Order: sequence, then structure tokens, then C-alpha cells
Amino acid sequence: MWRIRLHGRGGQGIKTASQILGSAGFYSGFQAQDFPLYGAERRGAPVMAFTRISEKVILERGPIISPDIILIGDETLLNDSQSAPLCGADPTTLIFVNSPHPPEKLAQKFSLVTADLTDLCHKHLNKRTIYSSALSAVGARLLGTIELADLLQAVEDELTQQGIVTQALQGNLELVREIYTKIEPAILTPKVEKTLITKPMVLPDYRPVVDGAPIILEPGNMALRKTGNWRVERPEIDYTHCNDCLICYARCPDGVIAVNPEGRPAIDYDHCKGCLICAQECPGHFINTVRETGLFP
Amino acid sequence: MKVLTGAYRKIKDLHPHEAIAPGTGLCAGCGGLEGLRMALKELGDDYIICNAAGCFTLLSVYPFTPLKGSWLYTTMGGPTPAAQGVRDALDIRMRHRGLEEKENLNVIVVAGDGSSNDIGFGATSAAIHRGLDFIYFCYDNEAYGNTGFQLSAASPYASATQTTPSTDVHEAGTEINKKDLFEIWKAQKPVYLATVSPREPIDLSNKFAKASHLKGPRMFICMSPCPTGWGFEPKEAQLIAKLAVDTGIFPVKEYYEGEVVHTVRPRKRLPVEKFLERQKRFRHLFKPHRQDVVIKHIQQRVDEYWGQYE
Repeated sequence: MWRIRLHGRGGQGIKTASQILGSAGFYSGFQAQDFPLYGAERRGAPVMAFTRISEKVILERGPIISPDIILIGDETLLNDSQSAPLCGADPTTLIFVNSPHPPEKLAQKFSLVTADLTDLCHKHLNKRTIYSSALSAVGARLLGTIELADLLQAVEDELTQQGIVTQALQGNLELVREIYTKIEPAILTPKVEKTLITKPMVLPDYRPVVDGAPIILEPGNMALRKTGNWRVERPEIDYTHCNDCLICYARCPDGVIAVNPEGRPAIDYDHCKGCLICAQECPGHFINTVRETGLFP
Repeated sequence: MKVLTGAYRKIKDLHPHEAIAPGTGLCAGCGGLEGLRMALKELGDDYIICNAAGCFTLLSVYPFTPLKGSWLYTTMGGPTPAAQGVRDALDIRMRHRGLEEKENLNVIVVAGDGSSNDIGFGATSAAIHRGLDFIYFCYDNEAYGNTGFQLSAASPYASATQTTPSTDVHEAGTEINKKDLFEIWKAQKPVYLATVSPREPIDLSNKFAKASHLKGPRMFICMSPCPTGWGFEPKEAQLIAKLAVDTGIFPVKEYYEGEVVHTVRPRKRLPVEKFLERQKRFRHLFKPHRQDVVIKHIQQRVDEYWGQYE
């Protein structure tokens, strides 16, 4: 059985990628299982999805702890301790990172494949951050056992269900074809199957009611949580042209653009989620957007 | 005709106080958050929010809160009864138990359109009837956004939701019209009632400033463009809000002392397509083939509405 874990952010199509991969595996005659895992948080927050593909019936359930392939759609996640995309990786794990530069440090420890999906998505879909079909194509190609025709069929089926048709669908199919020819199948070492041992049942202990009705006594402490790592693109104010109209300050939903004592707007990058409303709304277009690239551990 | 005379005329006049700390788990580009942020700037920090289960439940997640004031988390149908309880407790303590006037709190209900139009609708109607002294902030993203965008009574005609997608049998998607919550609430004659848009921060701030000096039920419906559910890039949230006003789909108005006044009027109304074509939930109206009858019907309803006032 091959276990594939996908990492990305809410809104990047990570869940769909796992579905396409599962369907493609199924069409190629395998048993397949796919499901996502995310918390209550939203678009931009780290998301995981899983696909299991096997010749035999899959009896395993639950999240994949030690994957054969890790597909990382957003390289900035490598620095994210909550997401921890490398968790459970060992020397037999193949890691794919969507990145324009091959990360050397990572390559010393793991077998690593990289490609710049962001640019490919931009070329075919005119969107930079929708990795659903791209990431599934990478996964399918790395596995080496999934036929192109089955993959294309899976992309078409899954995307049509989501209402993606005509031109947008053709773009996705083109994208998948290009990735399929670009990436070489990998040599994977099957993991030693562990025998499962049943454990005694865990009985919950009872807690006093106070524990279930917690009170927060520090107002505004949400600022301790940094949402800056949600960003895919970073807004940068061009201060040489900015005329301090403060439209960006008024329009920022998270209130992360503060007005400094000189009356100039300043972006708090620890919390900016990268919605880019400021860049869109700036009357003089004096806010530039720069793609965030992560630093590798 | 009464004209709203507010203190704010320019963006630079807006209250500098930032009432909601960053770091919340809400989507990047949330239109409702922008509305609430502007509203709370105006209402000060002495408040208690009774929140209905919904997207904004993510504002305060233990052990963190972005708010300076208090927060009470209730069920989807329960925010207004909770507000009644809190208001009564405060009043009784002030009258009989020596709670000082300066410790009084503004009681605010924050609820989504699902709670406001469907589940908590009856309780809210009863509270307006009793003349409860509270502020009601409804962030209207036109579906149950928190659970994956299912149909609510606020979902507009011809929008696709998770439970009403466009199919061969039901090509238009949602085949019923949005509930007119403004008119329903207006019929109960609350002290103040207004619709606000996050794209009109000056109008919004003036309305909250005005309402904060009144007593009794003060109701707000805030249009909340939802990048995740409506299907557009987060950066376009404000543009969508602007188009909703400019096409006349979302009238920005207030009801005060028996009169309805449109506080922001589109000069020349744009065709509704301008608003529809940018959103995934209306994409079936344009692709794979254009559903002219449906689009015409939407335009006609907008024209009929404004016909009453033009």
C-alpha cells in the first residue's frame, strides 16, 4: 500500500487533489481511500489531506502518520510548526515541494523532488494558488503506476462535480499533461507493514463542570496567535508614492494596517493574512504584491 | 426627507481605536469581519457580545479572544434570549444591588444570516416586540457559511449553495427569493434599523454612532461578501461589496422615526451582471450557456425595488 499525505492551505485545492489522486488510482484498478483533515480555521490556514492506494483491500483508517510520499503545495509551510509537513518522514519517504529553488538542506536528509507548480498554474489556469490538479498529477506521476488517461478522467470527473467546466477544465487538463511529462516516476521503497496490536479500552475520567466552561481573562490576547504565515503573497507599501489617504487602513478586515504617529500606514506582517484587499483598493496602486517564499529549515 | 447628519465625512475622521485584535481564525478577506471591526470602533469597549453559533464563533477561541469587551457564546437560536437575560441582570443589579452606572454594558447580539433569518428569527422578533434595549448585528453572507455554505433563507434567487446547486432539473440553483429581513423587522417598528456595507465605512460608522445614542432595539444588517462561499479572490471582497451597492442589489438604507432613507444611492445603477459574473455561486448563469431569463428576472426585481423610490 502507498500512503500519500498532502499539505497546503485552505483554498488551494488540497482536498480536491487528494480526491483526484484517489479516483485516478481507482480508475487504474487499485483500491483507494482519500480524506482531508482541517480544523475550524479557514481559507489560508494549514490543511492536510490523505490518499491511500493499494492493490489489496485497505483496512487502515485515520490520518497517515508515516507516509511514503509527502506532497507540499505551499513551501512556506515548511516553517510552520503547527502544520509540520515533514512530520513522520524517514529516509524512505519521498518529499515533493512546490518551489522554484531546490532546497539543498532538505535534499541532504530526504529524497526530494521539486517543481515550480505556482508558475505552471499561472500559465494554464491564470491563477497562482490552485494546486488541486497540479499536485494530484505530481502524486500520480511519482507513484508511476497510474496511467495518464485515468488521471485525466479523474481530473475531469472531480472538477466537473465542482462546476469547473469548459475553458477552466481544459486549462486543468493541459496543466496535468504538462506535469505528467515533466516529472519522472520515482523509485519507492515499500514500508515494512506493522502488525497491529489491540490496546485496552480507554475510559474517560470525569472533570468538574468549571473545566468545561473556561473563561478568558486577558482581553485582546488573540494577537499572540500569528496569522502572518497564512500569506501566499505579501503586500508592500511603496512609501515614495503613498499619499497617506488611509484607504488601506480602513479596508483591512483584520485591522493589521496601523497608522503610525506620522500619519502613515504600516502593515503588521506578523498578522497580515495576505488577502490583498489593500493592494486592490489602493487608489494609486502604490501597494505591490510580492510572492512569499519560505526559508528552509 | 431627513438626512443623516454624522460626525464622519472622510476616512481620516474614522475612529482610530482598533477594537478587534488581529490573529483571528476567520478567512482572509472576510467582509463581515470588516463590518464588525468598523462597528465596534464606534461602540467602545464596554459591551457584552452575545454570539450565535456561526462563522464569528471563531473570533473567540479558548484560550484566546480578539475582543476588549466580554463575549458570551450561545446556540444558533439563542443569542437574543441571552441578550435579554444579560440586559435584565444588568438592570436589576443597577437598580437594586448598587452596580454603578459607569459599569453598565452595551448588549450586542452578533449573529449570522442563518440565525437571524431562520433559527433565531422568532426569538429576535419577540425581543423587538418587548422593546429590549440592545444592538443586533447580523452579518449576512447569504448562506450557512460556517458549515460549508448551505442554503439559508437569506440565499438570493439563482445562487448556487451546497444544498441547492445548479442541476439539470433546477438550472437556476436556488429557486426561491431572499427573505426581506429589513421589511420584516421594519414592520415591528424597532427604534433604529439599518443596512450597512463594509465598503461604506463612513456611512457605517455614522449609523453606529447614531444608534449608540438611542435606547431600545437597534437592528443592523451588514452585507458580508464571503470569498470562500461566494467564490471570488479574497482581494475582491470590497469590490464585490461595491458592485452590490452600485448595481442596486444591496440597498444601503436606514429606518428611523417611521421613515426609510437610502443613505448611499447608486448614481446610475449598473446592470446586475456586473455583480453576478464575478462570483462562482452565479457562474452557472453564464456557463456553459447564458441563462438570460434568470438574469433578466434578477434585474427586474432590482428595478422594481428602486422603482418605488425613483
